[in-house]
Amino acid sequence: MSRSQGPTPAAAFDLRDFTRTARGSHRDRLDLASYAARPLDCDTLNLVRLLARLERGALSQLRSVLVTPTHSDARMTAFLVTWAYEKFWLADALEAISEAHPAPTATMPTPLARRLRHAWQALGERLEPIRESVVSNLIGEDVVAVHCLAGTLDEWLVQAAYQRLAETTSHDDLARTLDELREVKRRHLEFFESQAGQRLAASPSAARLARRRLPRTGFPLGSSEEPPEALARLLDGLLTAADLRAIDRRLDSYPGLAGLGLATAAGARAARRPDSPSKGDLRP
Amino acid sequence: MAFDIDHYAETSDGVGWADLDFESFAEQPLPEMTLRTLRYMCNVEYHTVCYLRDLLMTPSHKERDVNAFMTMWNREEFWHGEALADVLGRHGITVDYDELKASRVKLEWRDKLGPLRQSILGNIVGADYIAVHMSWGAANEWTAVAAYRRLAALEQHPALSPLLRRIAQQETKHVAFYATQARNRLEKSKLARKLTRLALAKAWEPVGSSISEPDEVQHVMRHLFDSEDGMAEVRRIDANIAKLPGMEGLTILETALRKGGVAA
Repeated sequence: MSRSQGPTPAAAFDLRDFTRTARGSHRDRLDLASYAARPLDCDTLNLVRLLARLERGALSQLRSVLVTPTHSDARMTAFLVTWAYEKFWLADALEAISEAHPAPTATMPTPLARRLRHAWQALGERLEPIRESVVSNLIGEDVVAVHCLAGTLDEWLVQAAYQRLAETTSHDDLARTLDELREVKRRHLEFFESQAGQRLAASPSAARLARRRLPRTGFPLGSSEEPPEALARLLDGLLTAADLRAIDRRLDSYPGLAGLGLATAAGARAARRPDSPSKGDLRP
Repeated sequence: MAFDIDHYAETSDGVGWADLDFESFAEQPLPEMTLRTLRYMCNVEYHTVCYLRDLLMTPSHKERDVNAFMTMWNREEFWHGEALADVLGRHGITVDYDELKASRVKLEWRDKLGPLRQSILGNIVGADYIAVHMSWGAANEWTAVAAYRRLAALEQHPALSPLLRRIAQQETKHVAFYATQARNRLEKSKLARKLTRLALAKAWEPVGSSISEPDEVQHVMRHLFDSEDGMAEVRRIDANIAKLPGMEGLTILETALRKGGVAA
């Protein structure tokens, strides 16, 4: 796993180049016939499907971010427009691999507790932009730093999962595709890291806000609607406790953010709740 | 008319202008009134992300087709902004990130209330409200196509006119999506038809009105539409909108122009 130490200088990211060279469809690079010849095992396929759903959540994330002062920042929106486009095609590639396999068999009926939780989350999700548009607009610019930090942590977690899956799968084509997709994600991380570092350095109150808000955020972003067993497989199986600790150390290196232990906490939450109610996906 | 979202997504790309002779602006610079109109158009394109935000307040973005369209549409509009910013840049008018941010911050309160209002409306009225958004979007995109074509015809410029026609070409795909969505949703629900008619008749303004000074809106509308050809175009747009289920007899663009003192 690549481990950059702390914030990257903001000048390192060329936003214009990123918008100009966005990666579209990956379909012509996928060898879908290889999956017909050698299908993925069920566990790997479930992880691929989970990663696809997480990438697909870009617009839902945008929804929460754009009601805040982040939407006024034309650099942020230029990035987010392109980021959403690239994530659309990351999801598409993973879905194409999934669709090269027989459709998932009908699942057991959803238990009542889980259905109630989903209804509660759906209500929360409908109300969230209302709350968020009021709260964040009172807080102001600092919330942009929190969004960038959340994006950073999310990329660390999800990219680590891409990498682990590529290392552990016996399917060469899947490994190659995951590496190629991670290369697309590398620039997303670069942007979030550089913006977060720059904004934290410019505003001491941003770190205080991040300390309050990040622990209330469900990581990876958009995972609140995921079945607990899928998250447990991701955060307490594919990624090990050592991986999560390494991610936490990277966050520790940002000024004012030491000791939050957010990745470890996400792992612990996923491990202990086969079907316990969650607080929902409170975005920063 | 079905809209093939997969084909649209596969072929979606930022508008290109590297092959156009932008050096020609040095010998044939654009007149002041055209630059003013382009500035307005450029702003509107860059602000699409703000409209996207309002659209995302409704549950529609979770539908696969809508999700795919919004992602591609938003990026195409961003590139229209980039292309027009390049034209303006050739005339010494800088449109950069900081300047855009300043103009968004200026809109502040009106803008901050936007998502709140949209979210409450979207959640109360639910699915029927999506029909309002789709019809509104169709009206905006029809206007945009007409505006770009009008300016291309008015200028007859070797670099500007082909660029504007390329942009208009992409906008026609956006029209197709919005109009198809609007038609389907309006056909299914009487409440959707009532809400949409009310919203268009009472609240619709030419695209860009909410993010520009009234003088600028008036300049652009006068520049593009205050002529016999211009008004013929306006009536064609209104006729398209009136063809949507439940929108018979509406003349929203002509009404808005008359209100703004254009085409008296």
